[in-house]
Amino acid sequence: MDRDTRDMLLETADRFFTQRCGRDVVNGVEKGAWPADLWQEIEDMGLPLIAVPEDKGGVGGTLADMLALLRLAGAHAVPVPLGETALANLLIAAAGGEPKPGPATLALGNLALNGGRLSGKVERVPFAAVAERVVAVVGNTLAVVAKANAKVEARPSHAGEPYGTVTFDNAATELSAASPASAERAFELGAVMRAMQMAGAADKVLAIAVEYSKQRVQFGRSISTFQAIQHMLAELASCVAATIASAEAAARDADEGGLLDGGRFSIAAAKSQASEFAQRIAAISHQSMGAMGFTHEHILHHYTRRLWVWRRDFGSETFWGDKIGAAFAKAGPDALWASLSASKYAA
Amino acid sequence: MSIPKLEFPPFHLPPEAEALRVEVRAFLKETLPRLKTDDRFASWNTRSPEFSKAMGKKGWIGITWPKQYGGSERSFLDRYVITEELLGNGAPAGAHWVADRQSGPLLLRFGSEEQRQAILPRITAGECYFSIGMSEPDSGSDLASVRTRAEPVQGGFRVNGTKVWTSGAHRNHYCITLVRTSGQHGDRHKGLSQLLVDLKTPGITIRPIINLAGRHDWNEVTFTDTFIPESCLIGNEGDGWLQVTSELAFERSGPERFMQNFYILRELVRVLGRQPAKRASAILGRLVARLWTLRQMSVAVAGMMQGGKSPAIEAALVKDLGTIYQQDLPEIARAIAESDATTEQDMADFLDVAQYATMMAPSYTIQGGTTQVLRGIVARGLGLR
Repeated sequence: MDRDTRDMLLETADRFFTQRCGRDVVNGVEKGAWPADLWQEIEDMGLPLIAVPEDKGGVGGTLADMLALLRLAGAHAVPVPLGETALANLLIAAAGGEPKPGPATLALGNLALNGGRLSGKVERVPFAAVAERVVAVVGNTLAVVAKANAKVEARPSHAGEPYGTVTFDNAATELSAASPASAERAFELGAVMRAMQMAGAADKVLAIAVEYSKQRVQFGRSISTFQAIQHMLAELASCVAATIASAEAAARDADEGGLLDGGRFSIAAAKSQASEFAQRIAAISHQSMGAMGFTHEHILHHYTRRLWVWRRDFGSETFWGDKIGAAFAKAGPDALWASLSASKYAA
Repeated sequence: MSIPKLEFPPFHLPPEAEALRVEVRAFLKETLPRLKTDDRFASWNTRSPEFSKAMGKKGWIGITWPKQYGGSERSFLDRYVITEELLGNGAPAGAHWVADRQSGPLLLRFGSEEQRQAILPRITAGECYFSIGMSEPDSGSDLASVRTRAEPVQGGFRVNGTKVWTSGAHRNHYCITLVRTSGQHGDRHKGLSQLLVDLKTPGITIRPIINLAGRHDWNEVTFTDTFIPESCLIGNEGDGWLQVTSELAFERSGPERFMQNFYILRELVRVLGRQPAKRASAILGRLVARLWTLRQMSVAVAGMMQGGKSPAIEAALVKDLGTIYQQDLPEIARAIAESDATTEQDMADFLDVAQYATMMAPSYTIQGGTTQVLRGIVARGLGLR
C-alpha cells in the first residue's frame, strides 16, 4: 500500500489499540481470559490479513506494511496473536492456500511431514493455547493443522501470554502445500516480526519512563530535573534508538529483498541487537521508576516482561549471534568489512 | 502521552556512492601495501602525508566542496562512503582528517573569500592539515568558559592564552582557535570568535603532552602576545559560539565514532580461526550485530542530513552508543580470545593489539564531547531539561 494509506491505517490502528488494549485487557489475558471481542474487532478491521493479496481476500499490503503494524502492536502490548496470525496468513497465501478467520500461530521446529501428516513437538509456541490453527513449515512444505488435531500443553510465557508446547502425533493437515518460504525463512520472518514488536515496546518503555520522571516529585522537584535521572534516561534512549534503527533496517531489507530471502543478515543482526539490549532497556526503566514501576498495577511490566520473553522468541542473541559469528569466522578477517557494509553474511 | 520521537529512517546510500566505494576500495588495495607505516592500528588518527596527497590526487578530500576551491561538488553521502572505507580498511588518514571533516567545511561556511581561496585548494590537495583549538586547561567540557583572549589592536589581534589537547599541532599547518575577542571571562557564549591561526606564527610555543600510551599526539599551544592579522578572523567577531557548535556537529556524527578501533574486531576474527566454538562465534556475531546497528543509525543520520535536516539528538545518540561500543570491544574480544584463540602465537599477536586498544579506550568517550555532555544533549531532546 502507498505511504498515505499505510499512515492512515496505522493511525486508525493506533487509536483502536489505545482504546481497546488497556491495562485490564492485557491483565485479563494473563489471568486466562481470551478477549474474543477484541480479536473479532481486529479481524473486522482486516489486520490479520494485512499482507495477504487482495485476490485471496486480504488487504494487499506488503511485508513492510505488516511489520510497521506489528511495531505499533508492540507499543500497545496487544495481547492477541496478531503478528503470528498475520505472518501465518501471509505464508498460507504464498503457498497457494486461503487464509481462514480465527487466531493462528506458528510452530517452527523439529517436525516431520509424511504423507500429509505432521509429527513432532515444538516448545514455547506463542499463543498455542488460544490459536485455532497451527502453521508449520517443514523443509519447503507448509502444513496447517487445526487445533483439534494437535495436542497443546499450556505453558504461559513469563509475560503472561498463553504460550504452550505443541505436539503433533501423525496429525491430519488442513493444508499441505509447497511453500516458497522455507522453514528457515519462516523462522527469519518470525524474528523480524518480533524485532519490530520489540522496537515498539522499547519505544513505549522510553515514553513511560520519561513521562513518569516529569510527574514524579521527590525532594521538592520533579525527578526529571536530577542529572542522574537525565543521564539514565539518555542511556535508555540510546538503547531504544538502537533497537528501533536495527529493526526498521531489517524490516526494510526483508521487504525489499523479497519473501524468499530478503534481508537475511539484517534480520539476524537486528534480532541479536534487540535481544541483547532488552535487558538494559528493562533495567534502566525499572531503576528510574523505583517501586512504582515494579508493581503489577503499573503498566511498565506489560512491556518489560514482553521484552524479556520476546528476546528469546524466534532466536535469541546467542542463536543469531552464532549464525553471524560462524559465517564471519569462516570467511576470515579480510571479508569482514565488505560483508558488514553490504549487510550480508560473509561468504 | 507524548512519546519522544526517535526515528532513524532506514536509508540506502545511492548507487553513485556505492560506485565510488568500489573505486575507493581498489585504490586502497593498491595504495596501502606500498605505504611505510609502522602503525598496526592505523585509523583516522594515524598520519601519512604521502597517503593524504594520494587521496588529494584522487579528488577525495573535500569532495563535497565547490569546484572553484578544489572540491568535486559531490554529495555528503559520497564523503560518507569514503570515510567509512578509510576506517574499514585501516587507512592512515589522520593528516587530513580534521581539515576534511570540520575545518574546511567551517571555512566554506563562515570564512572570507580570501581565506577560502588561500586554504581550501591546499586542503583538497592533501597538503594542508588542521588542528582544533578549543579546549583549555580550565575549559574542557565547559567550552564557553575559554580564557584565551584576542585583544583588538591595529591591523589585527594580540592573542594571549593556552590551548591544550591540541592534536597534531606540532605537525599541522593551522589551528582554528576559539578566543574571547570582547567582553569578560564569564560572559559565556557572548564575545567569542574563531581565528585561523598559522601555527608557525612567532609568539606561539608548542609543547608535547604525552598520552598514557606514551604517544605524542596532543600538544599544549601557548600564545604570548601573538599577533594575528585581522584577515584571519573567521566569520564575524562575536559569532564564535555559533560557529563552534556547528563544527561540533560535524565532529560527532561520523563513522569514526564507532569504527576507530575496527582493527580489534578484525584481529578477533583472525585469532578465533575459521571454526570457533559456538560460544565464541555467538559473542563475535553479537559484536558484529552491534556494529551493523551503529552503521544503520549513522547512515540514517547521514540520510537525514542530506535531506536538509539537522538531527543533533540522533547524532549525539550515535556517538554515545558508538564510543561505548568501542570501549566494550577490546574487553569482550580479550575475554573470548583468552579461551578460544587458536594458537599461543596468535594470542601473543592479538594481545599486542588488544592491549593497545584497551589503553586507548578511555579517550573515546572523552574526545569530541564526553558521554556526560552527550547525555545532557539527549536529555534536553527528551524534554527533561
